[in-house]
Amino acid sequence: MSKEKIEKKIKEEIELDPVTADTIAKEFKEHSVAEFFKKNKQMLGLYGKVRTLTTIIHEYVSNSLDACEEANILPEIEVKLDELGEEYYEATVKDNGPGLTEETVGKAFGQLLAGTKFHRMMQARGQQGIGASGCTMLSQSTTGKATKVITGKGDGKVISLELTIDPKMNQAKITNFKKVDKEYRGTAVQAKFKGVIYKDTQGGVLEYLRRTAIANPHAQIKFRDPKGQTVLFKRTLTHIPKKPKEMKPHPLGTTVDDLVTMSKYTESRKAGSFLKNEFDRVGDTSLQKIQNMIRFDLNKDPHQLSWEECEQLIQAFKKVDFIAPSTEGLSPIGEDRIKKSLESIVKPEFVVTLTRKPKIYAGGYSFQIEVGLAYGGNAGERTSSNPEDVKVELMRYANRAPLLFDGGSCAITKAIQSVEWKRYGVRDLDSAPLAVFINFISVHVPYTGAGKQAITDEEEIMEELRLSLMDCGRRMGIYLGAKRREHDRKMKQEMFYKYIPEIATALSSVTKEKKETLITKLEKLVKDKLGLEKLEAKIKSKQVGKEEQEKADDEIGKAVVVEDEGSGDE
Amino acid sequence: MAKKEPKEKAHVHKKTAHDLRMEKEGPKEIGRRIKEMADGLVEEIKANQDPTFITSQRGRGNVSFSEAEGIITLGDKKTHRNFLNVAHARKFMQTMLVTSKANDYLGNNKTAAIREIYYELKHTVGGTDENTFEDQSESDGVIVDLEHSVETIREKLNIHANPKGTLYGDITLIDRMHRNDEFNCLKLGRGGWSIMSRLEPNEIEIKKVNADYVLVIETSAMLERLVEEDYARKNKCILVGTSGQAARGARRLVHRLNAEFKLPVIVFTDGDPYGWYIYSVIKQGSMALAAHSEFLACPDAKYVGMTIEDIKEYGLENVTEKMKEMDVKRAKEMLAYDWFKNPEWQAELKTAISLGKRIEQQALANKSLEFVATEYLPKKIKKKQFLP
Repeated sequence: MSKEKIEKKIKEEIELDPVTADTIAKEFKEHSVAEFFKKNKQMLGLYGKVRTLTTIIHEYVSNSLDACEEANILPEIEVKLDELGEEYYEATVKDNGPGLTEETVGKAFGQLLAGTKFHRMMQARGQQGIGASGCTMLSQSTTGKATKVITGKGDGKVISLELTIDPKMNQAKITNFKKVDKEYRGTAVQAKFKGVIYKDTQGGVLEYLRRTAIANPHAQIKFRDPKGQTVLFKRTLTHIPKKPKEMKPHPLGTTVDDLVTMSKYTESRKAGSFLKNEFDRVGDTSLQKIQNMIRFDLNKDPHQLSWEECEQLIQAFKKVDFIAPSTEGLSPIGEDRIKKSLESIVKPEFVVTLTRKPKIYAGGYSFQIEVGLAYGGNAGERTSSNPEDVKVELMRYANRAPLLFDGGSCAITKAIQSVEWKRYGVRDLDSAPLAVFINFISVHVPYTGAGKQAITDEEEIMEELRLSLMDCGRRMGIYLGAKRREHDRKMKQEMFYKYIPEIATALSSVTKEKKETLITKLEKLVKDKLGLEKLEAKIKSKQVGKEEQEKADDEIGKAVVVEDEGSGDE
Repeated sequence: MAKKEPKEKAHVHKKTAHDLRMEKEGPKEIGRRIKEMADGLVEEIKANQDPTFITSQRGRGNVSFSEAEGIITLGDKKTHRNFLNVAHARKFMQTMLVTSKANDYLGNNKTAAIREIYYELKHTVGGTDENTFEDQSESDGVIVDLEHSVETIREKLNIHANPKGTLYGDITLIDRMHRNDEFNCLKLGRGGWSIMSRLEPNEIEIKKVNADYVLVIETSAMLERLVEEDYARKNKCILVGTSGQAARGARRLVHRLNAEFKLPVIVFTDGDPYGWYIYSVIKQGSMALAAHSEFLACPDAKYVGMTIEDIKEYGLENVTEKMKEMDVKRAKEMLAYDWFKNPEWQAELKTAISLGKRIEQQALANKSLEFVATEYLPKKIKKKQFLP
């Protein structure tokens, strides 16, 4: 039984029992959700005037992306911001997704904690579905205005409505409901907010959308900023990513509490089959091992399991050598796609990308790391109008959603800082023309806070991040080394070439040999000499690269040390 | 110091072996050598080989003092200059430019001063902001390379140094390069004859010399003093002013007077490292031109002053100068030179270092203006109070 089902069952039970404590609990719950939200906006990322606006756009855009993906649609998203007054903006987000029905639109925009993604063991951008409704709430609480939604399923009928949230009931209040005959598929939302500011700096909407576009190469995103300037991030991929599958929990990622709750609502009649059916990687062999370690019979009715017995099970899980969790729920972007995307949007000189194999943290959660290093060209943040003034750009993502804030406390930032970039030909990371792209993929992203902007530095995560970065760094180092040698070669060639006409003229004057012949011959001579060196360098770097690759896969600290100078012998 | 072998030194009217060689090496021969070198380079280029020419290695490592001849000589260490070498490419290009220019001079019967060739060849290398030569020292160095590469002297390449130095005294010259002008250097006024940088016998003929010795003088001021005192006539000598370090022309002239006319050479400089070095260049030759010492040096030259002894002798304590740090350092270096390793010079240098004093020629004016001409030089020369 999935958590979603459990939730449903709890709700049904509450509704069946109209009296007493449960009724109070229900009211209490509904009160608390909306009230809690009102009082704790900052926990949900709605604080800071620039950040709040970015968070709003994030909520709408990730909903759009998720909806499109689930419906197998190539997303086309338009974002508009209009400045209505001081710290007063109107946001409009329009997609070409599957659209919402009369029933679902209220839940999507007018009920907190009502999303379809809540409590599913599946990789998703937002994990709590609090976002769009949170925006409705924020809009009405700062401006007193309703949120406008237009949505259609492409069947010639379009719904147009305005909604607010009744905080006590945690329900949408819909007004101005209209049904229009119009050919439109998708959802458009428009809401006004006060106490927010638009800036096109780090952490701003533009940067957020740019990063979103990088990690979602199948999406096309158009943005019109408050000044009327339009930016279009074109898709570089016309292929919708594989839909992540819903996954059963892995025994090692389960707590006693989870187990108790799940056992109450299972349809299995024996504890053994309950474990086998509802958990990932539990088979007859592992059941036998578990049986040997616990003090009760696994043929017992799972509904009768006590807290203590569940504790025994959890203890036993730890001693069983389970197969690592299934990685079917993970949907990486893919090396080639990240590369294409970075090339198209960042416009660097070159890109190396890497999608690592899935790994496990805390025993039961699978996760996967993708790294992209974009070097040179337009890579890196410009810190002034001088194109030489460049700062490394860290692009952190969790399940393709950009993490723009709280970088300092994030495992990704810490891992990047812990790598010795000098080994890979980057002398000073801070001032490198480099963009570091990292996508952390997991069904369960261990965020440091409800703002969902930083990943906890679990040991396994840190280690895997470091290895991924070093692996990618090595590839970049080989490239940079070759590039440096090529640069040296060019410099040398230029140095020789510039003297050739002078020499040819002089020798021609003494010997009467044709000047043009001498020029051609001398240029060939230079090319031949430097070509040989280049070839040698290539062979050398290839050998080093191969050896290193072989032994380095899971070993920390091995690296190609990029030569500081060229391979020249003079 | 060892005396130079007399058999090499021809008498007045006979030409030396060197002269004969030099005469044989006319513009045609030098032109042929240049072409040979250039042809070799072109051949290498056509064969897809790094064009390389050979020149003598210069500097300390290839220079030695020949005790027997009393001159500084260049060893036979050779060095390669090739194009495909980051360190040599520029110099290679410069050498080609100078070679081509020298070839033009020889073909057109023109001669140019080293400063002229520098300006003639200086231009921006196409497509860069780099000049073919950044300053004259670059072209000067390349000229020396070329001299060694085609085994000749720059004068034979129709390139010459800027004239420097003055000749004064009863000596009659014929300038074969200039309307065969004939003149006596006692009758050119107070200025004397400005020494040309090219004065091979076929260019400047020394017709007659009426003198007992040659006096080489470091400073122009002292030369002027001696001219004013009519020293040359009164003492029957030739005066050669070098105005500091002696140029090639002056050295060649002094050498010819010494070799062809057997005139003793007496050198008169400031009593300091700079002056001592001027003397040593006249006597043994220089490291820079070690290859040509044979016809530039005068191994039997003597040093008349200024000496540390003079200070006491003539009571010049009040007109000495303090040696600067650089002077002391230089003097200490000179102590180690092979050609200063005789007891007299070792003593002179050591005393000067320990006193930390130097003395200029002009200090003698402290006695009286004419003192140098009437007392100091005549007496010291008569008594042969020389340093070797």
